[in-house]
Amino acid sequence: MNAPARLHAKALSVAFAKTPILKDLTADIPDGKITVIVGPNACGKSTLLRSLARLQKPDSGEVLLDGKSIHKQANRSVAQRLAILPQSPSAPEGLTVQDLVTRGRTPHQSALRQWSHQDAEAVGRALELTGMAPYANRPLEALSGGQRQRAWIAMAMAQDTEILLLDEPTTYLDLPHQIELLSLIQSFNQQSNQTVAMVLHDINLAARFADHIIALRAGAIFTKGSPAEVVTRNNMEQVFDLRCQIISDPVHRTPHVIPE
Amino acid sequence: MSWSLRLPFLSLSFSARAVAVGSCLLLLVTVGSVLALRLGSYPFTETSWLSVLLGAGSEIERMILMDHRLPRILTALGAGACFGLSGAMFQTMMRNPLASPDVIGFNAGASCGALIAIILTGGNVLLGALIGALLTAILVVSLAWKEGLPPQRLVLIGLGIGFALAALSDLLLSRTDARTAADMAEWLIGTLNARDWQDVWLVWSGLLLLAPALFWIHFPLARLGLSDDLTSSLGLRLSPLRLGLTGLGILLAALAVCTAGPLPFVAFAAGPIARALVPNGKPALLGAAVIGALLVLAADTASRMVPSIQLPAGVFTALIGGPVMIWLLMVQFRKGKL
Ligand SMILES: Nc1ncnc2c1ncn2[C@@H]1O[C@H](COP(=O)(O)OP(=O)(O)OP(=O)(O)O)[C@@H](O)[C@H]1O
Ligand SMILES: [Mg+2]
Repeated sequence: MNAPARLHAKALSVAFAKTPILKDLTADIPDGKITVIVGPNACGKSTLLRSLARLQKPDSGEVLLDGKSIHKQANRSVAQRLAILPQSPSAPEGLTVQDLVTRGRTPHQSALRQWSHQDAEAVGRALELTGMAPYANRPLEALSGGQRQRAWIAMAMAQDTEILLLDEPTTYLDLPHQIELLSLIQSFNQQSNQTVAMVLHDINLAARFADHIIALRAGAIFTKGSPAEVVTRNNMEQVFDLRCQIISDPVHRTPHVIPE
Repeated sequence: MSWSLRLPFLSLSFSARAVAVGSCLLLLVTVGSVLALRLGSYPFTETSWLSVLLGAGSEIERMILMDHRLPRILTALGAGACFGLSGAMFQTMMRNPLASPDVIGFNAGASCGALIAIILTGGNVLLGALIGALLTAILVVSLAWKEGLPPQRLVLIGLGIGFALAALSDLLLSRTDARTAADMAEWLIGTLNARDWQDVWLVWSGLLLLAPALFWIHFPLARLGLSDDLTSSLGLRLSPLRLGLTGLGILLAALAVCTAGPLPFVAFAAGPIARALVPNGKPALLGAAVIGALLVLAADTASRMVPSIQLPAGVFTALIGGPVMIWLLMVQFRKGKL
């Protein structure tokens, strides 16, 4: 490790009602890379992501953004650099896709400056990239689960931040749309060097799209590294209690899990 | 469809539908106010009211119009706007249409406070109402608090405290002499009887003073409709925002209560009606203000139209608001939110 990453968790501990959920967890989210957090249900992935986005105050330890504790920085200035899409977001009834995506511009707006040219441009681009432009005037509840998910992603994209955290962005999406969305995130990451950290459940997709994988187990990092380092037979058994064979994906040359 | 407004110091976008509905409502307020001016035990013709307003007409006519009806109408509009604004703010902030200040006891607190102020000092109605509403809010919120404000808890505890405060008000009435008690009993239902220019001045200067704050808070309030996590991830600070909103909402409720009495259901019904007219998921503060004004104007005019019995306006707002409440409760049940 050379220069520290812009987003860094330092000895994080989080407990809910005295039950420890994250235990003394230290991790870097490498700049300009795609990091995928994997782990079994309830192991603390969302809690880690929420802590990284200052939505969860740690009981001890801290999250550093650009070298300073994230909780000691102005919320608005953090929001200009870091966007998060939580696991199950909710919106008021009747809100249209266009209005939802515009909400993502909030950290760049003010009461007097609610709809600048930059806002219109960023919102238009996010709608275009996610393929939601044709649905811009539809209320959210008149969309399919997958379309709705893409509308939320568009909102996070419109926020136009250098760091993007996504909690299970592919839920509700069919396989082609999962691939499409992850490719979109990947191209975003490659073109604008955006740092991405996301939680994914599909370990094969994680292996294919991640530069860096963090495998959590019971609130601690079990292992981390490149897909080839993390996705091994031994690790899968230890992290997920999953007995499997690992083959090399014939197309992408990434490890591929075949459960036994 | 939406329009963009871009000036060097201000940029906004608004939906065509909201503008259309808003214009219709303003037209309705104007027509309604003129009708309210003309109607009554001394009716004016289609044109005579205007000439009286402009200075013609007999002394009596001028007195009826300028000293009685006009201030009464203006007070009704101002108080209604305050009720509507305060209701829509609390409903949006709590993400729950039942969380309006009249349902969760804040208005009962305001009127109880006002009553105590009148009995103890003979005046200071606004101050009494403010303190009453504030103390009630603190009490309700601290009793309902359980890792946040669960909607059912808030509504049930608020309702309970509202009833207790209403009983306290009744008790206070029984301690005062018969004539004051009769006046106050009417005021407690909500009435605009005998409002003068002082009330107009109070409610409208209050609204005007609060207008910049309302404009400013509308922006974060519109984002608060998303979940807490999303709101703070967008860079807004939840606690100061909630505190500011509560303060403003209580000021507005107190202002309305001390000029029109605790008219039931106006704060509660205005927001949902406005949102039903423009269902775009936004707080609809302006819409709620205008609907609130219309509701109180209609109720007050209706109460003047039944001269022999002289029912207070609160009876009529309850008549309008009751069905709205039932409709909302049904919707909430259907969505499984209660
Ligand atoms: N606000 C909370 N209050 C109490 N317990 C919580 C809270 N949030 C999370 N937990 C608990 O913390 C544990 C970890 O939750 P978390 O949401 O981080 O899991 P996860 O790894 O994201 O799971 P999943 O894959 O199901 O999304 C769970 O046991 C959960 O019940
Ligand atoms: Mg999760």
